[in-house]
Amino acid sequence: MSAYMATFLRWLATPVVLLAISLFLYWLLRKIGWQKKAAVGFALISPWLVGFLIFTAFPLFYSLYLSFTEYSIFGTPRFVGLQNYIFLFTEDLEFWPSVRITLLYAALTLPIGVVGALLVAMLLNNRIKGIGIFRTIYYLPAILPEVAVALLWRWIFNSESGIMNYLLSPILNFFGLGKPDWFGDPHYVIFAFVIMSVWGIFGTNTVIFLAALQGVSRSLYEAAEIDGASGFAKFIHVTIPQISPVILLQVVMGMIGALQIFTVAMFVRPTSAAGKFMNQLVYERGFTQLHMGEASAIAWVLFIIILILTLLVFRSSPAWVYYEAEVKR
Amino acid sequence: MGVAGRKRFNRVLIYITVISIAIVILLPFFWMLSTALKPEGDIFTWPPDWIPDPPQWHNFADAWNAMPFSRFLLNTIFVVALGMSAELISETLVAYGFARFRFPGRDLIFFILLATMMLPFHVTLIPTYLIWQKFGLVGEFDPLVLRAWTAWGPFYIFLLRQFFLGIPRELDDAAEIDGAGPIQTFFYVMLPQIKPALLAVGIFTFRGYWNDFLGPLIYLTDMNKYTLNLGMYFFMGGVNEQPQWNYLMAMSILVALPILVLFFLAQRYFIEGVTFTGLKD
Repeated sequence: MSAYMATFLRWLATPVVLLAISLFLYWLLRKIGWQKKAAVGFALISPWLVGFLIFTAFPLFYSLYLSFTEYSIFGTPRFVGLQNYIFLFTEDLEFWPSVRITLLYAALTLPIGVVGALLVAMLLNNRIKGIGIFRTIYYLPAILPEVAVALLWRWIFNSESGIMNYLLSPILNFFGLGKPDWFGDPHYVIFAFVIMSVWGIFGTNTVIFLAALQGVSRSLYEAAEIDGASGFAKFIHVTIPQISPVILLQVVMGMIGALQIFTVAMFVRPTSAAGKFMNQLVYERGFTQLHMGEASAIAWVLFIIILILTLLVFRSSPAWVYYEAEVKR
Repeated sequence: MGVAGRKRFNRVLIYITVISIAIVILLPFFWMLSTALKPEGDIFTWPPDWIPDPPQWHNFADAWNAMPFSRFLLNTIFVVALGMSAELISETLVAYGFARFRFPGRDLIFFILLATMMLPFHVTLIPTYLIWQKFGLVGEFDPLVLRAWTAWGPFYIFLLRQFFLGIPRELDDAAEIDGAGPIQTFFYVMLPQIKPALLAVGIFTFRGYWNDFLGPLIYLTDMNKYTLNLGMYFFMGGVNEQPQWNYLMAMSILVALPILVLFFLAQRYFIEGVTFTGLKD
């Protein structure tokens, strides 16, 4: 009980401190001649700014610094230059496999998650009866806690008596493959992860695409029909350009999410032969082995990978993303 | 086959596909429930039994009592309640500030806020941990809930801001003419207008805190303070242990239950929230 109470009191005190900071900023800005409304606006966003400076900006640079040090939480960080990175790139046996499996996982889930969801959304967009029920069913996996998703699929993929091997047994027997240990065998583990994740994220993407499709104006399709466009031509020249901003968002968010896979992997617990995702490696090195410097270096490599890929997608977007507002202007 | 016939054939084909996908999606749920109700000895039968015979409803109670899950539930509710309410209040205010006021640097700051969405959580993880350690609060619930006051969900700020932007300016002006200050305007004019967005954000933050695993994993060290998810992690057993699948499935269902109930009660806001965050760029 006392643990709750102490936290609760600090939880009550925090907004008081933040309010004091807001009021002080308001006073300060008024003092230097800001208009009242401007000062109010700045005071309103100041809680975010405080959180950003303490918990995002500072940690970002501090973790970059830590990645050049050796640090075990105890004592002070010792500067070692590029040693962590050199160790990761040249000697560490787990690092490159984890980069590989993380990228491969993102490269496989992303197209299936985006293209597949789009196709299903188009099916649902056919003015079918009971669309609400289907939408609910399709969205159901997306609301399940990741913990439950991971445990459920770990059981489905169970080598001895999981239903996956049972349902696939005609095919598996035909190829003489026996009962694969999905999350234990390095050859199968990535497919197991992809299947599990696609089941889990499909619903969100489908619901978003469905709404986007329903937002495409009928008149555009009618105009295309008058011009004699076939179903496929309408899809390429009307549907895709109209919903391309949504596709861009899905690709970017899906990619960032996939590269950061962590919780499901922790609960699925693939054998070490099957490999670890980068975030798992960060957690393991940092919090179980207390190599904070090395863990920070891995986190920064992941950050750079995400940054580069995101920039590439955004750079490519003018070529395929169509914003109506730009033309209208 | 005439045009009408072909159209009808297409419709049948669409229905068959849509229903098959629904079955594929629902099958794992059925398997989860079926396993949860199986007696210990029937779990590893081959071929697998689909229907537990007889259903062992006591598995739910047995699994729940195998670890102090009642305690974990209480802890989880504590974290969810504090985190969710703080986030709703702070994010609404911050979004209001971004949407309805002009001040130097606003657009740049908002751009930075959006950019933080792309920052992997693990990059800031270790320094953040060190900060809480400096405060002497590692092992307490504080690292999980205090930060909520600083509006740490950029996505939700974005969503709420979009809603604020959609409110006609005339309403502010009218309120101002009537002599309302920014605070009155906020409570009497703005809040009633953004209720659907508040509900959506409330649902998402609830789900976020309920499902959080990484936070409890690194900050909570004392079993008395474990949340449900963290408890599940240890309930799973050691690395080389074969888990007790009927209990694990029963617990998975129980952990998912509040979210499922919430989903069915507030489906509209769930789906609206999802589509909204996905559609506005």
